[in-house]
Amino acid sequence: MKRNLYVGSTLLALIVGFGAAARILQQTAEAQGKGAVMAPRFEVDPMWPKPLPNGWYQGQTIGVGIDAQDHVWIIHRSDSLDASESAADEGTGTCCRRTPPILEFDQAGNLLRHWGGSDGPGYQWPASNHGLQIDAKGNVWIGGNGAGNDGHLLKFTQDGKFIMQVGIKRAGLGPDSLSNDRFYLVAKVSLDNKNNEAYVADGYGNRRVVVIDMDSGKFKRFWGAYGNKPDDAAGAALGRYAPGQGAQQQFRGPTHCAEPSNDGLIYVCDRTNDRLQVFTPQGKFVKEIFVMPDSLGDGSTWDVAFSKDAAQKYMYLADGRNQKVHIYDRQSLTELTSFGEGGHYPGQFYSMHSIATDSKGNLYTTETYQGRRVQKFVYKGLAPVTKKDQGTVWPTTGSR
Amino acid sequence: MKRTNVIVGSSLLTLLVGLGLGQSVLQKTAAAQSKAAVQAPRFEVDPMWPKPVPNHWVFGNIIGVGVDKNDHVYIIHRGAGSLEPKEVYATENPPASECCVPAPPVLEFDPAGNLVKAWGGPGAGFEWPDSNHGITPDSKGNLFIGGNGANDGHVLKFTREGKFVKQFGFAYANAGSNDMWAFRQVAKISLDEAANEAYVSDGYGNHRVAVMDMDTGKIKRYWGAYGNKPDDTNLGRYNPDAPLAQQFRNPVHCAEPSNDGMVYVCDRVNDRIQVFTKEGKFVKETQVAKMTLGDGAVWDIAFSKDAAQKYFYLADGANEKIHVFDRASLTELTSFGDGGRQPGQFYAVHSIATDSKGNVYTTETYRGQRLQKFVYKGLAPVTKPNQGTVWPTATR
Repeated sequence: MKRNLYVGSTLLALIVGFGAAARILQQTAEAQGKGAVMAPRFEVDPMWPKPLPNGWYQGQTIGVGIDAQDHVWIIHRSDSLDASESAADEGTGTCCRRTPPILEFDQAGNLLRHWGGSDGPGYQWPASNHGLQIDAKGNVWIGGNGAGNDGHLLKFTQDGKFIMQVGIKRAGLGPDSLSNDRFYLVAKVSLDNKNNEAYVADGYGNRRVVVIDMDSGKFKRFWGAYGNKPDDAAGAALGRYAPGQGAQQQFRGPTHCAEPSNDGLIYVCDRTNDRLQVFTPQGKFVKEIFVMPDSLGDGSTWDVAFSKDAAQKYMYLADGRNQKVHIYDRQSLTELTSFGEGGHYPGQFYSMHSIATDSKGNLYTTETYQGRRVQKFVYKGLAPVTKKDQGTVWPTTGSR
Repeated sequence: MKRTNVIVGSSLLTLLVGLGLGQSVLQKTAAAQSKAAVQAPRFEVDPMWPKPVPNHWVFGNIIGVGVDKNDHVYIIHRGAGSLEPKEVYATENPPASECCVPAPPVLEFDPAGNLVKAWGGPGAGFEWPDSNHGITPDSKGNLFIGGNGANDGHVLKFTREGKFVKQFGFAYANAGSNDMWAFRQVAKISLDEAANEAYVSDGYGNHRVAVMDMDTGKIKRYWGAYGNKPDDTNLGRYNPDAPLAQQFRNPVHCAEPSNDGMVYVCDRVNDRIQVFTKEGKFVKETQVAKMTLGDGAVWDIAFSKDAAQKYFYLADGANEKIHVFDRASLTELTSFGDGGRQPGQFYAVHSIATDSKGNVYTTETYRGQRLQKFVYKGLAPVTKPNQGTVWPTATR
């Protein structure tokens, strides 16, 4: 019975592949699943990536990006290891060692390049590196959220050769959401390669989205919640989030993602407001949704990634508060299903932080705090939604 | 090419052993096959065991594991006190997120990894430990639990369903290493059922092994390092260059009786195992990763499941590996494991047990918080002193 569903979903994938109309898809789905909604289905790969060499140990992993070869790049805080995780560095045991913050894995999960962690000629490494994306030319963009220091973002080649620093790192730095030459505690830099523009989620200190030129770094425009002019004082006055407060006119922050879609919309994670706001590239407010709005503390909307079809029909939202990936129909912003659960086993999360998709539709997640993993979720095609919350998605019996 | 041969070879070996052929044949076969390579048990982690638990339950520090005669696996973990606020948001009022809540401290899994029962915590007629620690099943369906909270001076016995049976010693006893009525911060209780005696690793506060009657709890005998009279003088920090200490350092973390009448004691931060007769006469010792500072290298041991208990497995939560020893010679044959959060890796591997099929179960404390299963794959020639992360081979 269950098996029929999988056969069916493979058939569906085939039909879609042959370019049949969405109407047929819908009819098939209805015939098969009695009107069931279809959504992408995933299974964790418990053995990806391969163990790190050299006794290396991964810290809080706070960024993931995919390049044109489907190599998976992560950034982690190598200084977040405690004494028992870095005992080889401390000389108190044989396990383990701090690892360079930027790591590249191939599709098989092998570690390739690894670099970063210190200043170089012309640039300042962030006090706390944060967020990683790869542009169409293969360059690596990172931010930093080291409080009182990081007001900049950095652009490197994949070999770690410095290209550009935008903004500054300086002790004693504070918020300035109206600045035209620096940021404050950048969470992530996302890229609109077609228009040569980078969207800066700015950030843990500021309360805005900033758009810069990808070559010159020149500031082009910025905006706050609802497209309002960002206001640090008004933002700070918001205090703690409480459910049912109504429409907050400033980002509460961290402004944790600002993701441009193929059809010209920008999806912004206003993390501790539990909301996602959608804008035009010029910063005109379009719509918003709240995600599990009873979530307090560090909030529910951590990061988003789009499905890899040209239409980007689905959106995956990383919720590091409730430890699940919410799957949305992007157009309607309707949640279709979710998967994930709290824990340390494969497919479970502790503070899932970042999310990305590769060209095959596979998902990659990273975890911060004591999660400290990059995990791969293999795309298994569309399947009828049978549960709102799928829990831990382990490989089904056939593959074992 | 090579791998296939090795696997075929080791299956053959297993067969030969199974057919009861002599040790010399075994040795010759092994020698012929791998140029006199040493043989040792080989393991592969099962990344999907146990199955996810319900109710948004999460585990805290898991500081005990035991396997009963039906190969059911019991763990004990420190619940709320060992979980970070971010892991247990759902326990706030109002719930600050959907995830998660601490599971009850005692959990039982069947061999397939299904949760059978979860229980534990304070109740009538007994003092639940401030910080429960160690869990050991007997063959009658009972469980023995210790505790290493500052005030824990006792051992508890329950049925596997969680019905209280007996308390030995008492909380707030503050008993020293020569006390005959209570303990001080017990790490683990191990059982010699033929003699109806329990070996108490006593512990995080005391510096001794205490042997008690399994029914009455009466302390029958006890001893310190080298069989000396235990002494609670603080020895300060372990120094690998100093002469070997004449007393155990805290914690005395395991005291495992073997089938042939020996008792293996984990002197954790002294990085050593000491072996005694059941009467407490010192027999021999070995140091393990003796340069290890801090938490120490010798956390727990389990014996292989052959009648001779030819091998033992030593959990080293500082260096994040399982050392595989030849028991008779106290020689390390190989090791596996590495630090990390992926399957087969460890953060502070704390406790270890074997089931009737030779599979190994480990638990991790601190921020590891997992129970993991390592499937026994028969004997195989040792090719590396340290195998690192042992992932399944054939299935991928």
